[in-house]
Amino acid sequence: MANFRRFRPDDLNKLSKCNLDPLTETYELGFYLQYHAKWPSLFQVAEDQNGNIIGYIMGKLESSPEVYKFSEHYLPWHAHITAVTVAPEARRLGIGRLLSEQLEVAADANDAWFVDLFVRSTNHKAITFYKNMGYSIFRVVKDYYGDHSTDPTQSSEDAYDMRKPMKRDVKKEHVRDDGENHAVDPSDVW
Amino acid sequence: MSFNDYGRMPLRSNVDMQLQTAFSDGNWNAVIRLADKRAKSLKDPYYEAIKICAESQLDGAVGKSSVLTAIDELVRKKTVPDIDTLELYEWAAWDFIGGEIEYADTLGPLRVRWAKANPKSPMAIQCLRSCLEYWDLVSAQQISTALDRAYVNSGDRRHMFWSITLTFLLSISPQCSESSRKVYSLLVLKQLERAAEVTENATKVDVNDRGLQTEEEVCLYYRVLLANGSKADFIKRVQCPKLGALALLEKGHKLLFWESLKALETWGEWDLIYDLCRRALRMGVDGVTTPFFVCDWLVWKRFATAASKSATPESALEEVQAILRQYFAMDIKTAAMYKKNLSLALLETTFQLPGRSQALDDGHKGMTPRVIQLGLFLQQYFDKLSAFEDVKAYVADLSFEEAKTLMEEILPKLLDGKSDKPQQFILKSFASKLRYLLTTCPQTLSRHPSVVDGKDQSEPYQCRLCSQLTSFPCRHCLKDIVMEAACTYQQISKDKDLISSIPRLDKDPRLDLAMVIGTSILKLARLRTKDHSLTRPPMRGVDAGLLLQATLILDTQLKETPKDNGLRLLLVQLHLLLGSASIAYQLWIPMDVKRTIQDALSPLFFDRISTLSPGLFHGSRPLMEPLRTHYRNTLRDACPLKIWEAFLSGSYTSILGMNEYDSTLRRSCTMMMSMVEESRATRVFGGKGDGEIADQQLLWKITDDTTLVHQTDYGSFPNLESHHGPPFQDFVRLGPGLSNERSHLSFLAEQFADLLGYKPPKEYKPAKTHEAALRDRTYTLERLSQLANSLTTFLHAPNTPTLLTGPETTYFSVASLLASALVTCLSTSRGDPSPKPLASATQSIRAALAALRSEFTHAVATQASPCLAMADMHTLSYLRDTALAVRHAAAFVLALHDKELARDRSGKSALHRDVVAEMKALEAVAGKAVAEARAHVQRTKETLGEAGWLDRLLELTFAGGGGEDMEKAVLGVVGGDMAEAEDWAGRLLESWREGVKGWVAVKWE
Ligand SMILES: CC(C)(COP(=O)(O)OP(=O)(O)OC[C@H]1O[C@@H](n2cnc3c(N)ncnc32)[C@H](O)[C@@H]1OP(=O)(O)O)[C@@H](O)C(=O)NCCC(=O)NCCS
Repeated sequence: MANFRRFRPDDLNKLSKCNLDPLTETYELGFYLQYHAKWPSLFQVAEDQNGNIIGYIMGKLESSPEVYKFSEHYLPWHAHITAVTVAPEARRLGIGRLLSEQLEVAADANDAWFVDLFVRSTNHKAITFYKNMGYSIFRVVKDYYGDHSTDPTQSSEDAYDMRKPMKRDVKKEHVRDDGENHAVDPSDVW
Repeated sequence: MSFNDYGRMPLRSNVDMQLQTAFSDGNWNAVIRLADKRAKSLKDPYYEAIKICAESQLDGAVGKSSVLTAIDELVRKKTVPDIDTLELYEWAAWDFIGGEIEYADTLGPLRVRWAKANPKSPMAIQCLRSCLEYWDLVSAQQISTALDRAYVNSGDRRHMFWSITLTFLLSISPQCSESSRKVYSLLVLKQLERAAEVTENATKVDVNDRGLQTEEEVCLYYRVLLANGSKADFIKRVQCPKLGALALLEKGHKLLFWESLKALETWGEWDLIYDLCRRALRMGVDGVTTPFFVCDWLVWKRFATAASKSATPESALEEVQAILRQYFAMDIKTAAMYKKNLSLALLETTFQLPGRSQALDDGHKGMTPRVIQLGLFLQQYFDKLSAFEDVKAYVADLSFEEAKTLMEEILPKLLDGKSDKPQQFILKSFASKLRYLLTTCPQTLSRHPSVVDGKDQSEPYQCRLCSQLTSFPCRHCLKDIVMEAACTYQQISKDKDLISSIPRLDKDPRLDLAMVIGTSILKLARLRTKDHSLTRPPMRGVDAGLLLQATLILDTQLKETPKDNGLRLLLVQLHLLLGSASIAYQLWIPMDVKRTIQDALSPLFFDRISTLSPGLFHGSRPLMEPLRTHYRNTLRDACPLKIWEAFLSGSYTSILGMNEYDSTLRRSCTMMMSMVEESRATRVFGGKGDGEIADQQLLWKITDDTTLVHQTDYGSFPNLESHHGPPFQDFVRLGPGLSNERSHLSFLAEQFADLLGYKPPKEYKPAKTHEAALRDRTYTLERLSQLANSLTTFLHAPNTPTLLTGPETTYFSVASLLASALVTCLSTSRGDPSPKPLASATQSIRAALAALRSEFTHAVATQASPCLAMADMHTLSYLRDTALAVRHAAAFVLALHDKELARDRSGKSALHRDVVAEMKALEAVAGKAVAEARAHVQRTKETLGEAGWLDRLLELTFAGGGGEDMEKAVLGVVGGDMAEAEDWAGRLLESWREGVKGWVAVKWE
């Protein structure tokens, strides 16, 4: 009962199955439209037979801004998963995986070094999901999130920056085994 | 916009530091002085322009208009303006664009003039961007054409596509004159056709040629072809070797294939759909594309439908099944999603195949290939969350015999041999959902004579499932379903092992059971869709006890499964119906409906909220602020958000989609709802708010001709109904959903209220009082006749009666009658003959008001219990509004009369005697109604304050028409004793008390 296709702006009227779930953030309109404007083929949705969106991925292709060229944190040409979400009723059917794989195909087609993403360090489900697809932790961004998803007494939460190398990275230069020991500040990620 | 970091326009870089600093500090007097000096010494008119801009930043009308005068001069001059001056003026005129001046008449054409003269300058692109930011498509199109011409041999292909895209946007925009529309439509099609030919005929791809290369370019072509071209051309092209849908699929681009199928379906070109789907799906099997690339559900569905419509459906469907089998046989690991798509496709083909509803064995009419296939599907998927949605439409299409076989033979066998207890209960809850579904299907009933012995039968059907006489839906079956589901529910609750296994399941089976119980009871409570209860208040005829029972069960279930948003959304509606709006709001808040999704979801809570619970507007959070901020932020600029980014990225189809979305959002019923609710609530408390509703900038462009669009998202709303009837939200919503007609009527009625309540500012003391009075009267008359006309037009639109609640119909009708009556009043002076139409208008007004009053009194008198007093606040609210509209209208006329008498002692300009008499009479009638409504609120407050309520409410709850056995069953589901119910009733009561507090604060004058 699912179709995979490109996002269309009127899909924003059909997001309730995904976005009423507390783990899925709802953004300002401009944020969605920016992805649709700049990387239309990297913003993909899964819809059910009634046209409800039951999953989507927002992705982009980019390098760090030129001014950071000589910084140790500079990121070469890569794909980035900005958001991926699947409606609770449609989970564990492979939709999340399919959406991510589509982005990986695009990353390879565009000669990207790797695909990366940020995930809350307590979002174990998502971390397992990524790990099972070949992603690994590259670094820990301390206090990246301004709130904590499970513990209201805390005012921040770390992010894992996870990566999966693409075909271009033959020598696996852009991943590491001990990423968990590499902490950086939020100001080091752009 | 090319502002600097301070949000200010940077000056030309050769301007001296002192002036730059003064400018960026906003030290306008210094800028004026310095610029004046430089203008004189350097003889550069640019400094004159700086001075003008600085003047425009000072308070005072003269300075402000100087920049407008300067722009006007430039427009008239017809010479190419200086670009820096233009940029400065555009910056300075920012506040006036769209108000005092139109960009498309002033700065746009100046930008065009400059860009045409300097097409190769990078600033020409800036000119294009500015025109786009103000959504001046006429100018933007001209600039882009000039750029395309300038860059034609440069290899920069984007100018060609910018020009094409803008020509197309213009051709479909209201900005385009009718005479040019055809020309542009043709032009853009020809340009793209030429490009398509270049590509089709090229032997190799040249990155600089003027053909169609990217997916975006090709899809742009097809979109234009769809809009402006012929069907034949589209069909021919879509099968081409290079630009055809399959050619693009082969390259990994699915968009065109997807869009083509949709277009072909609207034309009914099923043979071509069949062919395209067949070849596309084969590509997956043959390894041309990745295996499951086109294995979408909709592709299979269209393939099967196309096959069933072919000349030889049997063999065509065999072919579909053959391809399906090849997919099933593929030995690769694939997503469960695709496997399910395949299984559903198999189900679909079985339902499409002719003769598959024929029994295999004559002796067993229900055992057909369709039922068997459903059984096979369910065997695999019945325990999955989406199983019900997956099979719902198929089950609803079964014949009665088939459905019976499915329920009585197939389902019970699904677990044959398995003793897994959780699975058994999942299956039971699934079966009860199906059983409910069948009560919504007409094939489960047979007609019984509707008139017997000359008498109408209240039960014109015989239920084929339970054999009893019934109305639709079958009440006996509904009750059985409740009893059975309640029993299963209690079995689960009592089984500790089972309860502990629930977290490991896809879904808590109790949730499904509670939903079935709740929904069935709501149907038994006689909740009806509102479209045929034209003039009745929403709660009329509803069995309050049963409504309360259903709410109790569902509320209790939410404690177990608080994350289920469907249940939450249903409860929000139920509490709005019951008048416990504060509970509805508490249920609403945790869903965190914010930002982008508000437009689609907010109506689920906010629609009509001011009529239900004005008190909520005085809570700790400003109720409508998030919605307001959303529209203010997203619609601030004239252009669609992020449109320039899409141009820069060459995302041409995104541009078209974003344009469409933007145009729809600017006409959103939800946006109108937010403004109307706020305005009504402000009035209810006697406030003035942000001024008149028509002054809200977001509504400036809404005229009677604007079609307002509603996009309410009911995707998460529980709906166990079949496609033979309306969805469940139509039963539980307080009235018909948002509509163009209601939105316009509400907007007009608010404008009418604003007009009646208008008071000139204190400082307004016109010198020539006589002329001013005449002018005011003419203006008022004009506004009144406009409003009367518009209100009448929308009230008499063919669908309007089914789009309003009864009280709304009365209110808008009275508003319309009053507006017309006032026109008569104001245009009939003392010396004129007696105004005939007035008497009939006032009579209708009186009759309408009286009918609403008696409806309300009737509702109050027949309420099952006074404790439900809060449930009809919607009617009360419109009784108040209608009565006050009458009163204010009468007062308006009488005040005018008095004013005229005071001004002109001769009495000539005063109103007609009959007018005065009629208005006084109306005022009195309205006053009475207001007093009644007010007294009702007071009474409700006192009644709710009395002791012993809890018991009375519980008594009422358990006195519903379901009978004792059902009450017992309900009680069993909520824990077996009264503790839960008491706690719940206490909360409900508290919410009512809170609601009435809000009503007490309402102003009645
Ligand atoms: C994370 C998420 C996107 C996964 O989507 P999904 O469609 O359910 O995932 P898939 O079915 O494609 O799972 C692929 C694989 O990931 C792993 N996985 C997914 N969800 C898992 C879970 N809850 N627990 C353990 N492993 C899981 C499994 O290995 C799974 O393969 P399998 O089902 O064959 O065992 C989804 O759970 C979700 O939307 N979560 C909320 C939003 C979120 O957290 N997004 C990530 C923010 S960065």
